[in-house]
Parts: sequence; structure tokens; C-alpha cells
Amino acid sequence: MKILVTVKEVATVEDEFEIEGTEIADQYLGADLNEWDDYAVEEAVQLQEAGIADEVVTVTIGPEDCEQTIRQALAKGADRAIRVWDDALEGVDLLDVEAKTEILRGVVEEEDPDLVLSGVQSGDDSWGATGVSLAEDLGFEWAAVVNHLEHDLEDGIASVRRELEGGVEELTDVELPAVLTIQTGINEPRYASLRGIRQAQRKELDVQSLADVGVDEGVVDSDLELTDMYEPESESDVTVWEGSAEETAGELGDLLRDKGVAP
Amino acid sequence: MEFGLTEEQQQIREEVRRFAENEIVPVAGEYDEEEKYPHDVVDKAAEMGLTGPYIPMEYGGAGYSILDTSIITEELFSYDPGIALSIVSTSFGCEAIMNFGTEDQKERYLEPIAKGEKISGAAISEPDTGSDVSSVSTRAEKDGDEWVINGNKMWITNGTVGDFFVVLCETNPDAEGRYNGFSQIVVESDRDGFSAEKITGKLGIRASDTAELVFDNVRVPEENLIGTRDAAFMQQMQFFDETRTAVAAQGVGIAKGATRAALEYAQDREQFGQSISEFQAIQHKLAEMATDTEAARNLTYKSAWKVDQGEDITKLASMAKEYASRVAVDVADEAVQIHGGAGYVDDFPVERFYRDAKITQIYEGTSEIQKNVIAREMLGKGF
Ligand SMILES: Cc1cc2nc3c(=O)[nH]c(=O)nc-3n(C[C@H](O)[C@H](O)[C@H](O)COP(=O)(O)OP(=O)(O)OC[C@H]3O[C@@H](n4cnc5c(N)ncnc54)[C@H](O)[C@@H]3O)c2cc1C
Repeated sequence: MKILVTVKEVATVEDEFEIEGTEIADQYLGADLNEWDDYAVEEAVQLQEAGIADEVVTVTIGPEDCEQTIRQALAKGADRAIRVWDDALEGVDLLDVEAKTEILRGVVEEEDPDLVLSGVQSGDDSWGATGVSLAEDLGFEWAAVVNHLEHDLEDGIASVRRELEGGVEELTDVELPAVLTIQTGINEPRYASLRGIRQAQRKELDVQSLADVGVDEGVVDSDLELTDMYEPESESDVTVWEGSAEETAGELGDLLRDKGVAP
Repeated sequence: MEFGLTEEQQQIREEVRRFAENEIVPVAGEYDEEEKYPHDVVDKAAEMGLTGPYIPMEYGGAGYSILDTSIITEELFSYDPGIALSIVSTSFGCEAIMNFGTEDQKERYLEPIAKGEKISGAAISEPDTGSDVSSVSTRAEKDGDEWVINGNKMWITNGTVGDFFVVLCETNPDAEGRYNGFSQIVVESDRDGFSAEKITGKLGIRASDTAELVFDNVRVPEENLIGTRDAAFMQQMQFFDETRTAVAAQGVGIAKGATRAALEYAQDREQFGQSISEFQAIQHKLAEMATDTEAARNLTYKSAWKVDQGEDITKLASMAKEYASRVAVDVADEAVQIHGGAGYVDDFPVERFYRDAKITQIYEGTSEIQKNVIAREMLGKGF
């Protein structure tokens, strides 16, 4: 079985920052592997260590700068990496979900994986849509916000537990090939070992252009435009009940139900 | 001339930083206060391969160079020197086995260290033997095919947690010349007649284990001898370049960590209606701390790089060790000063850095001994 994991280098922001136009000023930005992707990579590597997967391949859309971040996944055990980049993507402000879907579909068609794992969302753009959109486009089955995956995958079925809103979880089966979007907490991602880092330098990191993955340059045209960037006003609200647990627990329960936190 | 780090080296540094921030920083205060060996953290570090990074791949290590290892040491020490030493010291003494051990010894001793299953130590100092290493009096006598060892070793890092020690013993008291007649012998801690007593009350690096070892008719098989009989001194001397460079890297790390903490505090703390980082007196302190640290780092990296090139660098390694340890002490001092009263209590890490820094001027040859070495080399005198 082959697993394809979509990974992304995301922008990280310091606690205090300034906004310039529609961007956060450069000096407040760092870069890291998307947190959710770290869990997706770990899940794939564990499946490989359990002898269920034969090959784990990562794919990213990003410039050369992000290779160091992408190698993190190789150091943790992925076998090889694909990086899609193109002059046409240079300087594009907003690569929307539609464009990512099309590019990733090109890679999936080429690689023909049995299972695609993506993060639920990326820590910077937070669309939370790429994995599911990709599945729809491919006609694959999918499960979103997966926080447990049975490590047998027998008879081409993935048994998953997914997180719904309001603290509710769903157990469901999806038929392979499938896309699962992975939630944080599904496992405990490892640190890259020193041996792993060393070996990762020699693993294949294949760079492909849009043409290589069979996608037209027009893919970058978007109906979406980023018009503004601002910090939302944050509101906080506190309710304090006086009294013993017996007296107040019910009131807390009502409030949580009221706010939609509990069913 | 090439001053940059490779992508791989940057990646190592990043991953070590991640490890230190998540696994070391949250528990550093507790281990320091309780003077307790951080078994849990060391186990996690072993999983990542931080125990014995320089051990070759074929024995389960990562085969990293001395420069790579210095980068790891610097990064770990910049978060907490006590726990950092506990991690990097798990392979103390193993450089002798790596360089002079037989194939069998390498397999037997290096592999479990690289895998984190065992901890080693280097036992040189004695109650009456510190700077003058040639006065070692722990005695090893041959009896049939065994060595019988008697004596005491003092200040031994990992003394009560170690599984084996590379012990410097006198094997031929009649040998001519003060530096002849010593041998390095591996003593496992489960041998009859071996005992270790933890030394408590240390000023700094309190998470690291230090102990006095007692050898009372300890018998080990003759194959525990490392390298050549009676020639341990010449063997030992060859690692000074490595081990002194390693302590220099510790100093750079401490200076880096103290500077980081002081910079952050200076920007947060306000007096006279402004951030104290607006005062030029504070700015100059920060500038000097950063500059001194960078100078120490360059000296250390050069020393490490030269060791990796296989060059003999007695003088340079001593310079790096002496200078970086001095910078560590000075920078930690200034970092406390920038914190004012807040730096005098254990709410902030600088108080710990201040206490931890001092050891780098003492172990692996005191600052005075380093200067003796540097001057001796300059004057062209032998040792
Ligand atoms: C926490 C800790 C961990 C240690 N870990 C280990 C370990 O793992 N293995 C090990 O073998 N040892 C270890 N040591 C011992 C350490 O290496 C010695 O303490 C060190 O070499 C100094 O020896 P000493 O303490 O006997 O001091 P001394 O040699 O007694 O020195 C006292 C003072 O005299 C000065 N002095 C001595 N000779 C001269 C000279 N010729 N010229 C000028 N000044 C001189 C010294 O610089 C110093 O200032 C450790 C020590 C500590 C505190």
C-alpha cells in the first residue's frame, strides 16, 4: 500500500506583530511544517512501521525555500518527497483551494496512492478545505477531522473516528482509495532522530512543474481576492457561579448546552 | 574559507531546539531544585539519538562530526545546562573506546550507549588528583587473566547512574617518566567491590549526577583494557582537543541562553515610563553579550572544525575552552544584572545560568591549566 501525505510549510507569527496592507510584516514571520501535517506524517510512518504501508510519499506546493521544512518529514521516516513549483506560481498572492486541488490531483493521478492523508487545515491560511476538495475532485471517499484510524485497513476499508462539532464523535468506515484529513492529537508526533536527519539528506526530493503534473498555468487565476487583513476585536465574557458543585453544576451544564459546546 | 552551516546542520539545530523547548524547559527548574537525575528526559533524548551522536552509524549512532556535536551541545546548553549535561555526558569516556577499542569492545560498549540503553562515565580525577593528572593513584594489578582494581575516583559525572566507566589506573608504578605506566580500563558498575556515592550540594548543573567511586578489589577481565597497556596518558591526551572543544560549546550555549533570556526581559520590563531596553546602558550590555558569545562561538567552531580535519590543535582547543567558559560566566552575570531583583530568584532561568556557568571554568582542565597549556605551546615547551 502506498500513502501520499500532503504537507505544507506555513507562516508562523510572533505574539506581537504589525500588519502592512494585506500582509503581516515580514520581520514578525517565521516558517515551520504545518502542525496538522506533522500528525499526518506520523500516522503514515506508523502505518509503514506496522508493515501496512510499503511507501510513504509527501507532496507539497512551494518554492525552493521550503525544502528544509519539507525534509523534516523525510527525517521522520517518509520515503521520498515531491515538490511542485513553477514560475507561474511565483508571486501569486493567494493560491486558492481550487488551484491546490487541481495541482494535487495531478500528483495523485501520477502516484496512484491507496490512501491520501492531509492535515485538517493549515495553520496560516486555515481554509480547512483542501483535503476534502481533493477527494471530491478525484471521486475518492473521504473522512474529515479524523482523530483515530484503525491500523489494519483490511479488505480496503479504513475504520476511522472523526470529530464532529459539540464534542460528538463519529465512527465510520471509508473505502479505499480515500482521503483522510488528520486532526491533531491522533498520535504523538516523534522528533526527527539524528540518524533520520542524516538519512533524509540522501532521500529523493523531486521537483515538478505544473506541466509535469499536467496542470495548465491558468490554474493560478482565482475568483478570490484578498482585500483586507485586520485583527478581529476579541470579546471575552465570564460567568461566575457562587455555591457548591451540586448547586452550580447544572447551571454550567445549561450554559454549555446553550453555547453549543455540549450536545 | 566557509563560515556557513549546512542545511543539515541547521536542521539538527532546529530539531534540538524543538526538543529542548518541549521536553527540557518545562521541567528544568524542578530537576535543579531537587538535584535529581532526569532519567525521563534522557530516555526521550536517546530516542532522538542525542546520546552519542558522534558514535558511527555501524554502532547505532548518527556518525556526526565534532562540529555537528558542538552545535547540538550548544543548543541543548542554551536551554538548561544541567539537563543538557545529563544528555551529552551519557557517552563520556566512549571516545577512548571509539579510537582505541577493539571491534568487540566497540560493539559491546558503543552500541548500547547509542541506543540509550546504557550510560557511561570517564573516571580520571581522585580526591588527591585534580589538575595534576599524573598523580593518579588508583591501582590496577594483573592477577592471571584479570585486573584487580583498588582506589577512589572523585567528582565523576554519572557516578551513580552509569553502567560502566573508563577508569584511568596506574598499572606500572615503576615506569620511567611521570606520564608512563597508566592504563584505561573499563569497569562495569555491577562488578563486586564497586560502589558509588552521590555528591550533593552542587552550586549548578544540579540535574547532572556527580559521585565518588570506590574500587575495593574490583576484578574485571583483561579484555576490559582499552588500547595499549601503560600508554593511557598518550591516549588520553588525544581527546583533550575533542573534550575541551565540547566544554567550549557548553560555554557558548550558556552565553546564548543567558543572552536570549536577558533580551526578552529587557524588552518586557518597564521603568521610568519606558522599556529598560531603551536605556543605552542596557543596550550596550546586550550588544557586548551578543558579541562575546559570537566570538566564543567562532573560536569553538574553528576548534571543532580543525579536530574534524584531523589536525592537532592543543593550543586552539585550550583557547576555545578558556575563552568560551569565561564568556559564559560573564554573560550570565550581566544577564542577572539586566533582570535586577527578578534575576536573583528562581522565577527566571538566568539565576540558574549564573550558577551553572561556573563549572565550565573548572572541569576538563581549569582556566589556569588552559592558560598554562596555551603559554607552554607558545613558548615551545613540551608538556
Ligand atoms: C561537577 C563536576 C563534574 C566533574 N566530572 C568529572 C568527570 O566526569 N571525570 C573526572 O575525571 N573528573 C571530573 N571532575 C573533576 C574536575 O575535572 C576537577 O575538579 C578539575 O580538573 C580540577 O581539579 P581539582 O578540583 O582537584 O582542583 P585543583 O587541581 O586542586 O585546583 C585548585 C586550584 O589550583 C589551581 N591550579 C592547580 N594547578 C595549577 C597550576 N599548575 N598552575 C596554576 N594553577 C593551578 C587550579 O586552577 C584551581 O584554581 C568534575 C568536577 C566537577 C565539579
